[in-house]
Amino acid sequence: MKIETLLDEVRETNLAYLMLAKHMISEDKAEAAYRLGVSEELADMIGSLSTGQILKIAGSNMLMCRFRFDDQMIWNLVTSHSKDHVMGNVHAAILMGSQAVETV
Amino acid sequence: MRNRSVVAEAKQIDLASSLIHLGARLQVLESETSLSRERLLRLYKEVRGKSPPKGMLPYSTDWFLTWQPNIHASLFIGIYRYLVKQCHQERIDALVRAYRLYLEHVQAFKMDQVLSLTRAWILVRYFDGELLCTTDCNKCGGQFVVHRQDLHSNFLCGLCNVPSRAGKTKAKKETVQ
Repeated sequence: MKIETLLDEVRETNLAYLMLAKHMISEDKAEAAYRLGVSEELADMIGSLSTGQILKIAGSNMLMCRFRFDDQMIWNLVTSHSKDHVMGNVHAAILMGSQAVETV
Repeated sequence: MRNRSVVAEAKQIDLASSLIHLGARLQVLESETSLSRERLLRLYKEVRGKSPPKGMLPYSTDWFLTWQPNIHASLFIGIYRYLVKQCHQERIDALVRAYRLYLEHVQAFKMDQVLSLTRAWILVRYFDGELLCTTDCNKCGGQFVVHRQDLHSNFLCGLCNVPSRAGKTKAKKETVQ
């Protein structure tokens, strides 16, 4: 992949992610905070960003979203091909709910 | 109680009707809202189109410890605690939101809806009354619902240590055939 297309895609992903996050927070802050895995303060901050600010953040060469789990256990649960992938997902959801959150 | 605020009452009715939509029993409404029993009855009939079920609420703490209900209860209480701790939600708001998020999860993975809103409410009351609590599974580290008085030093959750024949019910067998 050419570096220009790569950067374009990074920006596009950033923009889509930030817009979705902002939209979710304006709909229902508490639910959005749970889905995003962030604290209320951080949700407040994302929710108060203006469109111009979002464009500025999204124009970076780095991705603004990152992987939700850095735990081998959860990776195994959500990627397993075993018969009972439903139970794996519930298990992962329980583990993710008790994880530390992103804060400011 | 003549000089009640109309706005406050509207909020109470809104809360009551969203609880009824989610399947709350009348006892839940009576303790969570300040509306009179007659008004709640009328509201219930209007929203559901039938009279509320009578009888006592299920009150067993042991139900939450059996295999499938325990998984659902642990999922729900995880969401509820997240909303209370991280988002400083009021108790009843957090309950409604957490239940909606729980339902979403259940529907997304096409699971059976094991926990009703009334059960979820009772679960939260058992946590407030310190009959139940959560403990960390020794293997996966997730938090699971347990009896407060039990010993939890070597606790393994129902998902790390699946009991034999767990989830293999008669109903499931019949749907496969």
